[in-house]
Formats: sequence, C-alpha cells, structure tokens
Amino acid sequence: MPKVVIDPVTRIEGHLRVTCQVEDGQVVDAWNHATQFRGFEIIMRDRDPRDAWQFAQRICGVCPTPHAHTSVVATERAMGIERVPDNARIIRNMFEATHVGYDHILWFYLLNAFDYVNVPDALNASPTTPALQNLQSQLRAVVESGQLGPFAGHWWDHPGYLLEPDQNLELVSHYLQAIEIQQISNDAQARIGGRFPMVMSFIPGGMQERLEIEEIQYYIGAMERVKDFVDNVMVPDVLALAPVYIELAEQGQGVGNYLSWGLYDDASQEPANRVLPSGMILDRRITDVQQPDLNEVRMFTKHSWYADDAGQGRHPLDASQDPQYTELPPIEGETLPSGKYDWSTAARYGERNLPMEAGPLADMLVAYGSGREQVVSLVDQTLADIGAEGQPQVLMSNLGRIAARVLREKVNVDFAYQWAQELLDNYGNGDMQVYDAVDVPDSGEGAAGWSAPRGALAHYMRIEGGRIGAYAAVPPTNWNLSPRDDDDVRGPLEQTLIGVPVEDPERPLEILRTIHTFDP
Amino acid sequence: MSEEMSAFRGVTRRDFLKYCTWLAGVMGLGEAGMARVASALEAAARRPSVVWSSFQVCTGCAIQLLQAREPTVQNLILQQISLDYQDNVMAAAGSAAEEVLRQVTEGEDFYWVVEGSVATGIPGAMTVAGRTSMEVVDELYPKANATIAMGSCAAYGNIQAARPNPTGAKGIAAYLREDGGVADPVVVNLPRCPGHGDDLIATLTYALVNGELPELDAVGRPVFLYGQTIHDTCFRRGHFEAGRFVERFGDESTGDRDWCLYKVGCKGPVTYAPCGRNLWNGNVSWCVNNAPCQGCAEPDFWDELTPFYDQVRGGDLPGLYGVTAEQIGIGLGIATAAGLAAHGVGTAIRSRRTTRAGEPGRREGGEL
Ligand code: SF4
Ligand code: SF4
Repeated sequence: MPKVVIDPVTRIEGHLRVTCQVEDGQVVDAWNHATQFRGFEIIMRDRDPRDAWQFAQRICGVCPTPHAHTSVVATERAMGIERVPDNARIIRNMFEATHVGYDHILWFYLLNAFDYVNVPDALNASPTTPALQNLQSQLRAVVESGQLGPFAGHWWDHPGYLLEPDQNLELVSHYLQAIEIQQISNDAQARIGGRFPMVMSFIPGGMQERLEIEEIQYYIGAMERVKDFVDNVMVPDVLALAPVYIELAEQGQGVGNYLSWGLYDDASQEPANRVLPSGMILDRRITDVQQPDLNEVRMFTKHSWYADDAGQGRHPLDASQDPQYTELPPIEGETLPSGKYDWSTAARYGERNLPMEAGPLADMLVAYGSGREQVVSLVDQTLADIGAEGQPQVLMSNLGRIAARVLREKVNVDFAYQWAQELLDNYGNGDMQVYDAVDVPDSGEGAAGWSAPRGALAHYMRIEGGRIGAYAAVPPTNWNLSPRDDDDVRGPLEQTLIGVPVEDPERPLEILRTIHTFDP
Repeated sequence: MSEEMSAFRGVTRRDFLKYCTWLAGVMGLGEAGMARVASALEAAARRPSVVWSSFQVCTGCAIQLLQAREPTVQNLILQQISLDYQDNVMAAAGSAAEEVLRQVTEGEDFYWVVEGSVATGIPGAMTVAGRTSMEVVDELYPKANATIAMGSCAAYGNIQAARPNPTGAKGIAAYLREDGGVADPVVVNLPRCPGHGDDLIATLTYALVNGELPELDAVGRPVFLYGQTIHDTCFRRGHFEAGRFVERFGDESTGDRDWCLYKVGCKGPVTYAPCGRNLWNGNVSWCVNNAPCQGCAEPDFWDELTPFYDQVRGGDLPGLYGVTAEQIGIGLGIATAAGLAAHGVGTAIRSRRTTRAGEPGRREGGEL
C-alpha cells in the first residue's frame, strides 16, 4: 500500500507537506502538515494594541491586506469602536478590491495553471501572431540553453495534461500577462497605501489619510485594466479549460460545510449585509444559509504541535499557543502520521464541532444561497456555460473551487468602481472624515471576521492593562488545512483528498491539483 | 549591433539599453556605468543560476519580487537569471523539486538567495522536505557563489525574532556565526519588510558587472543602496525643517499638505534605506506617501522602534522648531556619522535604548 508524500508542496504560501495512502489507484487516507511555526500570538502579547495590525499582516505576505484589515477591526472592537467613519469603510473596500484583484489572478495563473498547462508542449504550437511567435522563440531559447529555470524537473510527460499545443502556448502567454496585471492591481494598492506587500495606512479608528482625487483616479484607471483582463482573458480561460478537464467536477467533494465571514461592507457595516454576505451552509444545503458567530469557533490541538487542551475545544483566545514539537515521519518507508503531525490547529464550529470549508467556493455558495442577485446570475450563467444548468451542487468539487475563484474575481472587478463613486459622493457632500481618534482602554475584548481571498479569516484580541493580553488569528488554513480534531475527524483538505484518483504514485499530479484548489 | 543578443533574445536593443540605464542608476554608476552594465550582461556566457530558499517566511519577499518592473519579471525569468529553485513559482513539487535543487547545487555556480529566518530554538519550527532550516544553511552556504539575505527576516530574524522570540529565530549571518561555526560569514543583507525586488536585481547585477560583491555597512547592507537615511531623501523634509508636523491622523496636514510625520511616529531619521530614491511598486509610491516610516530596514525594529505611532524614543526634543536634522540626530542620540562608524546603526539604536530606557537590550538573536 504505497505512501505518497509531497514535500514541499510548491506554488503555495508557507510550507506544507501532504501524506496520502494510495490503494488501487486512489487515495484512501490523507494527512496535511503545515511545517512552519513562528509564534505570532506569543510575540504580540504585551504590546501596544494600535500596532497589532502591523504584526498581524506579516502572518501572510500573499494576503497581508485582509490580515491588516481584520486585525484593525478586531482591535477596534476590543477598544469599543463599533463603526468607523464612512470614508474609512469605503477606502478599506478599495484596498480589498485591489487586493482581490491581484490575488485571484496570481493564484489562477502562477500557482495553479501549471497543473493543467504544459509549458514544454508550447514549443509544438504553430503560432500565427508575432507576439506568440516571439514568446515561442524565447521559450525555445530557454529550453535550448539547458537552464529551464522554474519549469525544470516537473512531470510534464504526465498523461493528465490534455490541452493542445496552441492552447498551451496561449496560456503561457496569459501567464506572463497575468504577472503584469497583478502588478497593476498592486500598484493601485500601493498608490493608496504606501507599498505592497505590507500596506501602511490603516489605523484603529479609520485610516491614516484621506485619499486625494488623483489617487482615486489612479485606482479607477488600474481597476479598469484589471477588469478588462478578467472579462476578456481570465473568465474565457476558465471556460475553455473546464470542458477539457471536466473530470474535476467529479473529484474533491469535500466536507460539505461552508463558512464565509463576508466581504465588502455597505454603509450599515453589518457582516450579514456585505456585498458577499457572511453566512454558513451545513450538510450541502445551499438554500439554508445561517449566520455564523465568531465566538462559536473552537480550536483543537490533539494532533497539533501544541500542548493538549485536555481533550476539549477552546475559544481561540483561550486555546493553547504553547509549542510542543515532536517529529515528522520520514518521507521514505511505510510509517504513517499519528499523534501530533501539524503546526496548524484544528478549527471547528459550534456544538457539533463541524469542520468547515472556507474560500471563494464558500463565499459564492453563501452569496448564491442568500439570493445576492449579481452572484446568482453569474453562477447560473457559468453553470449553463459548462453544461450543468440548474445544478449548483456540481460546484462542490475541484472544478468548482477553481471556477469560484474566477467568479469571485469577476464580482470584485464589477464592484470596484462603486467604492470610488461612493467616496467621491461623500467628498462632494463635504464629508472628508477618515479617522475618529479613540484612546486605548484599560481592558476590552473584540473579534472580527472577513473573507480573505483564501477564505474565512478571523482575528481576536483581548486588551489587559492597556496592552495586548491575548491575541489569536484563525485564518483559512486552520479550517481548510486543519489536521484531525480531538475526535479524530479529518480536516477539509484531508477529507477532500480521499477518493482522488492517482494514475502514477511517482508523479501524483492529481493530488497536487486537489491541494492547489484550496490555495493553501 | 544586431537587434537581438544571445543572452537577451527577444529583447530589442533599445529596451536592453533602457534596462541597463535603469540598473546603472540604481547602482549609482551614472552614464559611464550604463556601458559597463551592458557589456557585462552581454558577455555573460550563461544566465546566473539563482536558488531561492524559503525558511520562516510570510512569502512577502517573493511576492515583492513579482512586482519588479525593470526588467519585467518576464525578462527576469526568461532572460536575465535562471530561477532554478523557488518554491512559490516553480512547477515541480515534492521529490521532483528536491531533485532540481540537488542537481543545481551540486553542479554549476549558483547565487543563493534566502527569504525568512533560521529557526534555531525549535529547529522543527521550519522544515522543507524533512530538513530544518539549520540543515539547509549548513549544506548550501559553503557551496554558493554568494549568499544574499532577502528581506529583514533572512537578514536579522525580523518579526519571528521579536520578543520573546519563541522559535529562536535568527538571520543567516547570526546563525552562521553563532551556531554554524563560521567565524566571518559573508552575507549580503537586503533588509526591509518585505525585501525589495529591485535590491536583489541590483545586487546580482553589481556582482556580475564588478566580479565582486558590493561594499557592506556595519550591519551587512550594501552601501550603494543603504547609504542614506529615509529622512535624507524624504519629500516631507522641508516641512520637518520648517517645523510643520502632522499631529493627528486623517486631517488635511497629512494627505493634502504632506507635512512631516515625525510626531506621529516616523522612524525615517533613524532608518537607512533607499525607499525615498527607488520607490515601491513600479515607482508609484512609498510608505511615507501615506504613513510614517516604521524603520523596517533596521535590525530589531519590532522591539526597538515600536510603538509605531509614538514619536521615536529618546525624549522630547528641546527647541524642536527650526533645528536642523543634525541637531535632532544628536538630540535623539541616534546614529549619525559617528554612531555609524563606531558601531553600526543597529548597535547605536540598541545602545540608545539600553541607556535611555534603562532596559537591558535583548540578546536572543536577531541582531545582524
Ligand atoms: S521625520 Fe519622516 S516624514 Fe518627517 S521628514 Fe523625516 S523621514 Fe520625512
Ligand atoms: S519607508 Fe521605512 S517602513 Fe517603508 S520600506 Fe522604507 S524603511 Fe521600511
């Protein structure tokens, strides 16, 4: 019974190993191992609460902005601030729009595409345009030099690559365009926030600066270019890939519970009213969306490298953050993981301790189930385009996870202008306020949830003696890449991998594809 | 001159020279330098092989590298360097990726770029393919042409090394010196959080053009990039001199008038970095456009330069209005010329804290 270990899982943020047990050509059991620990929550204790968001955004350099934003809101709640000035709300939405703008493009092309697009095969294409001919000659020079750079050593001869040479060349050219477009979105983020990654201008109570008209115009111009790429390149690409790789709709059904904290505040600043609303779907019942509660999240550590919490799940602020590393099993040999095997803790929801899938698929299903008009029409149209009219449940699959990221990007670029217009309207009405100063109180506690591009993200803060007494972040990793919990229930990725076919255990491309659908 | 060159196939002569001009500018070489850069790049027989290791990371430095503009990332990857191992963008995974690493590092010359800190207190806090960061350093440092610490984590340990440093995080040079048994390690530090892609490209080109690594300051940073403070190159500096300070976020004194951010926490006067000259993200902005500098290029800034929104430590300045920058520097006891020469900037900041705040300096690692 071969054990298949992928370590490192490349094209992700951070460090990940995945162990699978493969039998008769498919995965029968799986374990994910986050192999990095840095101790943010320990480091953040006893510091100035106003600085928390700057620490917190270093949790992830791919998605620092949602971390910064969520952390600032958690700090505000702990400080007793329930709402920020309307302009701050809008500027924060603009930050998120530029961030989503970059992130899903980066994921689809740079982190995911090589699972489906065969780079060396692009040399067999017969391009007719000068641009594609030029690209092909550059690729040929790279191959002939013997220095393949980032394309070296991959399983390019795997039979799972199904595109024609011309399609492969075309997608390699989109890959390179995508690098440029993600830069444009990030330039806009930097223009309004100083730099990217690691934006500078949040502050508990609002934003450090109002935006100048020129900055708003820059943002609009950048988002127009991103929208053009999404509408004319990215969405068509996913619609072209889907029929070729339609088998992915049969794989990777997952745990069937979906969690979203919501994205883009409207003027009410209520999570349930967000453009992509907060909500959760249990047991695949799409039409029955419930409101999640940040204080119903529990953390389990039986299989994680932290002190055990006496067999019970704890509120994030009270869960163990005390590292107790044991060991990773060797890659070779038959030894399977047992005991503690992961730096990620297991997040579970509510009384039933449910594992929840987070991410764009959860966001889109919750918005769809909540009847958000724009999402309903977008999803219905996409289902029709891939020949699955009226069957939203086909989205609960590997293919659905890919499609949902692209649709979420589409929603994002369609809404991006609205924030600029709202801000200009407020300015026109004489409302220039972006910040409301409040002193750090002696004590307080707060939590905030948001949908980062990777999925449900929550931050929690307790203030004691005017300093950070306890801090906890529950990013999508703690949901999607959770290890088994104290009842040995598998996390979503572990569950999703079971049943995935493996044509060749030496080159487990299908496993890699499934992992990447979670943007781990 | 032909339209296309061997090493830069597909690039027009015009674009190539534009690129060389930009690089020469970053490197401070001027007009004559452009020709030197061009001929060195043209003469290179093969693209320099780059191996990029990620240790305790957030991946922000890799994402910042993807924002590099001159050259475009396309030209960078296809023409200037051979990015042979970089786990965020490489196609191969698992044992196939490790096989690539083995082949490159056992074969030809390679430059070794490190992102992230070395976990020395809990070695298992970071493993890749089952190997700890310490094991990877021990193997690759002796083999590499040159070791470049990309970003503040690889340079000084950075946020992981902040109090109380739960994993014993250290920068590469500190690890090599203290635990790796290398008396005098050669590591080029390119701090900032995240590291800036332009710094890396300029440093690699510098090595190619000059056949040697650039001169380094007392904390391991190339002097040609990190020779001036943020304050030296700041567009708000006139307001500082004139005593016009932002007192409160969000009012017109910051966004519209660009008054000086010193009183709301700007660490520009104590921070050596080129941000004001080579801006961020395609040159559209930099931190001080929208917020006070946090001093992210300085060792231990998470402990030494926080709280971020309080005035830099060292007490109130007597007669602040109208004093010169040099007087302010002396008033703060910060590293000006003397401090830099004697101890290096980081040391000067630390000793200031030790004496001024009466607290012992932290020594878990992270410095240099
Ligand atoms: S204190 Fe900061 S904002 Fe003011 S001039 Fe110096 S670097 Fe610029
Ligand atoms: S301006 Fe200051 S905080 Fe910003 S990157 Fe430069 S040194 Fe770091």
